[in-house]
Amino acid sequence: MEKFERQANEEALARRAKKKPSPKQNKITLVPVYCKGCGLCVDICPTGTLQLEDHIEGKFGVVVKIDAPEYCIGCKMCEQRCPDFALFVNYDEEEEKVKNG
Amino acid sequence: MGKREVLQGNIIAAKAAIAAGCNFYAGYPITPSSEVAQYMSRELPKLGYDFIQMEDEIASLGACIGASLAGKKSLTATSGPGFSLMQEHLGMAVMGEIPVVIINVMRGGPSTGLPTKPSQADMMQARWGTHGDHPIIAVYPAFSEEIYSETIRAFNLSERFWTPVIILMDEVIGKAHEDIEIPDLKEISIYSESDHVVEDLNIYDREIGENPPRVDFFKGYAIHIDGLEHDKHGWPTTEPDVVQKMQTLRMQKIYNNLDEIIKYKEFYMDDAEIMIFSFGVSARSSLAAVQMAREQGIKVGLFQALTIWPFPKRELKERFKRIKKILTVEMNMGQMKYEVERVASDDIDTRALLRANGIPFTPQEVLKAIKEF
Amino acid sequence: MRDYERYIRYRTFPTPWCPGCGDGIILKAIAMAFAELELDPNEIIVVSGIGCSGRMPTYFNTNTLHTTHGRALTFATGIKLARPEKTVVVISGDGDALAIGGNHLIHAARRNIGIKMILINNGIYGMTGGQVSPLTPQSFITETTPYGNIEPKFLASELLIAAKASFVARETIMRLLPLKQVIKKSFQHSGFSVVEVISNCHINLGRRNKMKDPITMNKWIASRSVSKAEFEKLPPEERNHKYPVGILWEEKDRLEYSELYYKHIVPSAKEAAKKSEGKHE
Repeated sequence: MEKFERQANEEALARRAKKKPSPKQNKITLVPVYCKGCGLCVDICPTGTLQLEDHIEGKFGVVVKIDAPEYCIGCKMCEQRCPDFALFVNYDEEEEKVKNG
Repeated sequence: MGKREVLQGNIIAAKAAIAAGCNFYAGYPITPSSEVAQYMSRELPKLGYDFIQMEDEIASLGACIGASLAGKKSLTATSGPGFSLMQEHLGMAVMGEIPVVIINVMRGGPSTGLPTKPSQADMMQARWGTHGDHPIIAVYPAFSEEIYSETIRAFNLSERFWTPVIILMDEVIGKAHEDIEIPDLKEISIYSESDHVVEDLNIYDREIGENPPRVDFFKGYAIHIDGLEHDKHGWPTTEPDVVQKMQTLRMQKIYNNLDEIIKYKEFYMDDAEIMIFSFGVSARSSLAAVQMAREQGIKVGLFQALTIWPFPKRELKERFKRIKKILTVEMNMGQMKYEVERVASDDIDTRALLRANGIPFTPQEVLKAIKEF
Repeated sequence: MRDYERYIRYRTFPTPWCPGCGDGIILKAIAMAFAELELDPNEIIVVSGIGCSGRMPTYFNTNTLHTTHGRALTFATGIKLARPEKTVVVISGDGDALAIGGNHLIHAARRNIGIKMILINNGIYGMTGGQVSPLTPQSFITETTPYGNIEPKFLASELLIAAKASFVARETIMRLLPLKQVIKKSFQHSGFSVVEVISNCHINLGRRNKMKDPITMNKWIASRSVSKAEFEKLPPEERNHKYPVGILWEEKDRLEYSELYYKHIVPSAKEAAKKSEGKHE
């Protein structure tokens, strides 16, 4: 049986091609066990920062991949769009340790 | 010393409910139980308590369960068709282990049946009306003082065992006006429990035979109550071991404590050779018949069940050791007689005096059946 | 920590809904509304019936109650009358609110009992596998309308306005911040309030009707929402394909049911009690 080859989201890559990396560093926190790989965040991100990838911890085996973190402009559209509380932008450093622990 | 009054059975039940601490009534009118709702609509607001007439019986029991979870003692009253509608929520109360009291003033059935005539045809429905495996407590008074005391007992049992309790009545005892001595409030004992403390939200965690440490809403615990099968936190689960354990815990909560639940009265049973098993309006006719029979030298006694469910199996088996003739008297096509037959061994002669035409048995009719035995 | 995470019961996560389901967005919007109003989680109760929407209370870190199909409003009525000072939220879906629960819906509205209802309209019975609902658009294919739905759908918000609900609003899951805003306003309303949320079930409705992924279905939902003013200007034949969003009806002066009960019924009863006491003993 052939291995399933995940196709990259071309529209997101096209959006990224039109942008430059962000001057300010923005941190995206992912909670893989909550992520269902629905792709809504990948679709909404204006700079094409996000893609999807296989991940053993994801509920359905596919989660968000922060493909180009330097392009994140910190708009938080992905965090708003996420139905599963799996994505946070510029989350507090302290709390992040608790979440991932 | 209490007060002597002439009161209708439905009103006696309502008064007793308030004495037991009932402070919430949601109901829908239905003959022959509407007087309970009407009395509650006048009296509960006087005490600052809640009364609401809902849009149907399903809504009534739903509101009662909601109020119970919010810390109130709730009551609703209905008859056959309404009781059928309430079955789903009865199951919810069993599943969530929620105290609530439901009065069913039985009338002729099935369906619309005989709204203004009595029957005793919802006995099995009280036990098995709702789907799924579930224990239930049902009590059935016959005399006016018993309507009062059994209503208080029903509230106490529902609080003690975190379970819905059904008070069965019939159109005769509900509608008849009789004199009764209302006990002084000081003479009534109301069951109350000190507040539970729940650790880590384990609201259903307990040993077999015990009650859960369940708390009501708004007590400082963000608890979850569910109609789905749940684990010790109340959160939904389908884990086979957990499910089986919860089923067993709910069953044994009742069946391990029968001493506190079973209640009955015996008349002329010491040397009886024939036993009448009866309840409600039929028990009243049977008692008069037994008294007449004794005057004629017939050795007959009456076992009046006050707790109908769980069925007084152990108590009957005891009496079957020396009494070999049992007559079940009930106003239906045969319901409790099957329980008696189930419990009786082969050497017992079990018979039944049955009728489902809306006319209660007269003592003479019961006496005739005794003589034919 | 985000302020709204305080209202989320992470111990029960992840949620059971399909990837991309709007229910998660609604969960977030309600939690955000709780947070902005700085409500105490112990003073809130979230009640639901059966369906995908019915699973929502499990994920709130407040008092929560999961009841029978269509009857959440009845339990909530008992709770609100018993504890009028608490915030009582009911979350229902298509069937729970408008099929089996339709009767309870119009009575709760008529009574103006202070329940805050979130009516999730996804046009399908999702939990049971995709059968037609009273909110399924006409001609759509579902598991029980394989040849197309011949029944017109209810206009839920408009029906509630006719049933005398004192606060009615509609939003969609594509507009998270307006949704949060309108939910917050509905919580601040003292009488019966309903927020109808147009949501996506791409797995059960969308997939059978050419919208099998959440992104396509969400675009369809977004394309149909217009402001109330714009909707008024539309000619009748176009109104079938659009719906107005925002606060559609608001009555600020009506007394809530339990207020009316405690301000009118209880004092009248106590008066009557005093008078009759004078007569008897």
